[in-house]
Amino acid sequence: MRVKGLFNKIAQSVLIAAVTLLFLGGLATTGHAADDSLKTVEDKGTLVVATSPDYPPYEFQATVHGKSKVIGMDMDVMKKVAKDLGVKLEIKSMNFDSLLVAIQTGKADVAVGGINPTAERRQSVDFSDIYYLGGQSFLINKTDAGKYKNRSDLKGLKIGAQTGTLQYNLAKQKIPGAQVKGMDKSTDLVLALKTHKIDALGIETPSAEAYVKNDKSLAMINSGYKLDKNEVGAAIAAKKGSDALINAMNKSVATINKDNLTDQYLADAGKYMKVNTQNTTMWHYSNYFVTGVEYTLLISAVSVVIGVLLGTLLALMRFSKNKLLHGLAVAYIEFVRGTPLMVQVMFVYFGIGIIVNIPALLSGIIAVSLNSGAYVAEIIRSGIDSVAKGQTEAASSLGLSKGDTMRFVILPQAIRNIWPALGNEFISLIKESSIVSIIGVTDLIYQTNIVRADTYRGVMPIFITMLIYFVITFLLTRVLNHYEGKMKHAR
Amino acid sequence: MQDKTIIQVEHLEKKYGDTEVLKEIDGTVKSGQVICVIGPSGAGKSTFLRCLNLLERPTSGQVLFEGTDLVSLKESAVMNLRERMGMVFQNFNLFPNMTVLENLKLAPVRVKHLSDGEAVKKAQELLDRVGLGEKADAYPASLSGGQQQRVAIARALAMDPEVMLFDEPTSALDPEMVGEVLQVMQELANEGMTMVVVTHEMGFAKEVADEVWFMADGYIQERNEPNAFFADPQTQRAQDFISKIIGA
Repeated sequence: MRVKGLFNKIAQSVLIAAVTLLFLGGLATTGHAADDSLKTVEDKGTLVVATSPDYPPYEFQATVHGKSKVIGMDMDVMKKVAKDLGVKLEIKSMNFDSLLVAIQTGKADVAVGGINPTAERRQSVDFSDIYYLGGQSFLINKTDAGKYKNRSDLKGLKIGAQTGTLQYNLAKQKIPGAQVKGMDKSTDLVLALKTHKIDALGIETPSAEAYVKNDKSLAMINSGYKLDKNEVGAAIAAKKGSDALINAMNKSVATINKDNLTDQYLADAGKYMKVNTQNTTMWHYSNYFVTGVEYTLLISAVSVVIGVLLGTLLALMRFSKNKLLHGLAVAYIEFVRGTPLMVQVMFVYFGIGIIVNIPALLSGIIAVSLNSGAYVAEIIRSGIDSVAKGQTEAASSLGLSKGDTMRFVILPQAIRNIWPALGNEFISLIKESSIVSIIGVTDLIYQTNIVRADTYRGVMPIFITMLIYFVITFLLTRVLNHYEGKMKHAR
Repeated sequence: MQDKTIIQVEHLEKKYGDTEVLKEIDGTVKSGQVICVIGPSGAGKSTFLRCLNLLERPTSGQVLFEGTDLVSLKESAVMNLRERMGMVFQNFNLFPNMTVLENLKLAPVRVKHLSDGEAVKKAQELLDRVGLGEKADAYPASLSGGQQQRVAIARALAMDPEVMLFDEPTSALDPEMVGEVLQVMQELANEGMTMVVVTHEMGFAKEVADEVWFMADGYIQERNEPNAFFADPQTQRAQDFISKIIGA
C-alpha cells in the first residue's frame, strides 16, 4: 500500500516539528481535552475527508453527469459513514503524503486512501477497523506471462515497488536475489514495467486487476505472501484521541464488512474506470489541462507581482541604515532561500493553518510569493549595486531626496540591468509553482497526475504538460525580450 | 558685487583612515568670483571640491555656505542647501534612462515643485543657451562627450544655483570637444556666475579665473591672481608644477 517516500518523510518531519513548536508556543491550551471529535463533526454537519484521488479503484476522478468528481471504493465507504452519522461528506483532495498531516492539523476530520493501519502510523493517528483487505500481486508484461508464473520465478530479477511500502519490503525479504527499485507513484512504476526497466511490479491486487483490465499489454500473478491483516488492510485515519468519532465510524465499517459492501463498491468503481478509459485521447481530457493551466497561470501571475513588490521592499530594507530593518531583511532572505519551497508550501497550508484556516490555493500563492520575494530581493540588490556611484552623487548634488533618487534614477537603471535575471526568476517561478500540487491545488502538474491515473497512460499526459509549460515560458520569454529591447532602445 | 561671501572654509581636514588628504584648508569664495583650483594629481583638489557640498563629509573644520555651517547639519538639512550648489562631474553623470529634457526637468519638478510646463520652458531655454536646443528628446548615450557635459551644465543650472562647482569637467573629453565645454563655462563666468573649477586647463585658468588656488600635498600652497601666479610662482612646488606644464 501507499507510504510516503524518503524525501517527503524528511520534509514532513521538519514540518511536524515546526507545527509542534507552534502548538507549544501559541496553543498550549489544547492538551488532552475531552474527546469532542464526534460532537464537532455533528455540530458542523459535515465530515471532511482528505484523500489523494490518483489511485483507482480506491479513489480517482471521473466525469459524473458532466462534472469531474472524486469517486471510488473509499469514497463509497465514506459516503456510507457520513450517511450513518447523519452528516454531509466533503472531500478535500491533496497529495498522499499530506493526508496524515491534514488530519493532525485539523484540515480534515478523517483521511482515506488505502491507508494501512501500521504500528508506525498508529503512533501519530488513530484508525478505524479495517474495511477492506487487499491481497498482494505482481504486475508483469503479458509477453512474459509464459516465463513468470509465480513468485519463485522472479528470483534475481528487477522488481519495482512504491518506495517505503509493504510491497517494497516484501520484495526485499521474500524474493531471493531481487533488485528492488523504488519509485513514488504507481503510474511511474507501471511505465517502468512497460518500458522493461523492471521485470515485475509488486502492487495491491485491486490495483493490479484495474491495470490488467485497462491495459492489454499487462498481466498479473498472485504473490502468495502470507500476511497479517493489520499490515495489508485499509482503514480510516482520524486525529489521535478521537475515539468517539472512531467508534461511530466502526459501526458503519462493521456493516460494510458483514454485508461485503466493498464488492459492490469495487464493481461500481470499475464501471467508472471503464468510462474513463473508453476514450483516453488527450483531447478528451483537455478540460483537465485547461483547468491546470488556469491555476498555474493564476498562481504564477499573482506570485510574480507580490514577489516583485516584496523583493523591492526587502532589497531597500537591506540597504537601509536602520540595523533592525537590515537585519530583518537579511534574516528573511537567508531563511527563505535556505529552505525548500515544498516545505514552505506545507508550512503555510498546515502550519499556519492551525491558527488561521487558509484555503489550499491561497496557501500556495502565499508560499510561492514569499519564496519568490527572497530571490527577487537579491536580484534587485545586485541591480542597485550595478548602478554607478556617480548617479547617486549627481542626484544628490541636485538636491533629490533619497526616495526620489531610488525611484527615478537608480531603480529604472537597476531594472534594465537585471531584466534577464528577473526573467529567469519569473520562468522558474512558473515551473516551480507546480509544487503546490502536493496540497491539492489543481495546477497543471496535479491535473496531469489525475489524467495519468484515470487513463492508465503514463507518458502522453507528461508530454502534453511538457509542451504546455514550454509554450507558456516561450511566450513569456518573447514578452520579456520585447521589453528588454524597448529598454535598450532608451539608452 | 564682489563682497558677499558665498562659501567660507575654515580649518578643513579630511582623512581616509590614517591618510590625510586635506590638511588645514582655509578659503573664501565671494559672489561672482571664479576660482580655479589647480595642482598635480593626488593633491586633493577633487576631494576639496566634494567637501564644499558635502558629497564627502570633512573629518573636521567648517564649510560655511552663506553663513550656515554645513558640517554641523544633518544629512537631510544638507540636502536642502545642496540644491543651491550646482555640480558638474568629470564623467557627466547624466541619467541614461531619461531623455535630455527629462534630465533637466527632474530636480526642478521634484525638488523645487515647478509645474511641468514651467520646468520644460526653463529646460528649453537652458538647452538653447548651451547650444543643444535640438537635442531635448535625445538620450544621453546618443550624444558626444562634449554635448553630454554641456547638458550636465544645463542640468545643474536648472536649479538656479548660487555657485557652480566643476570637478575636472573636461578631463574625460576627447581633445576636440574640450573647447565647446570651456566656451560654455566662460560665458557663464562672464554672466557673473560664482564658480569653483578644478581643472588642468591652464589656458582657461589664466583667462577666466579671478583667483588661482594651487594645491599640493593636501594644502593650498599658494593663491594669487592668475597672471601673477603663472608669471611668478612663489613656492618651490608651484614653480616645479608650472615648469613641468610649460616643458610639456
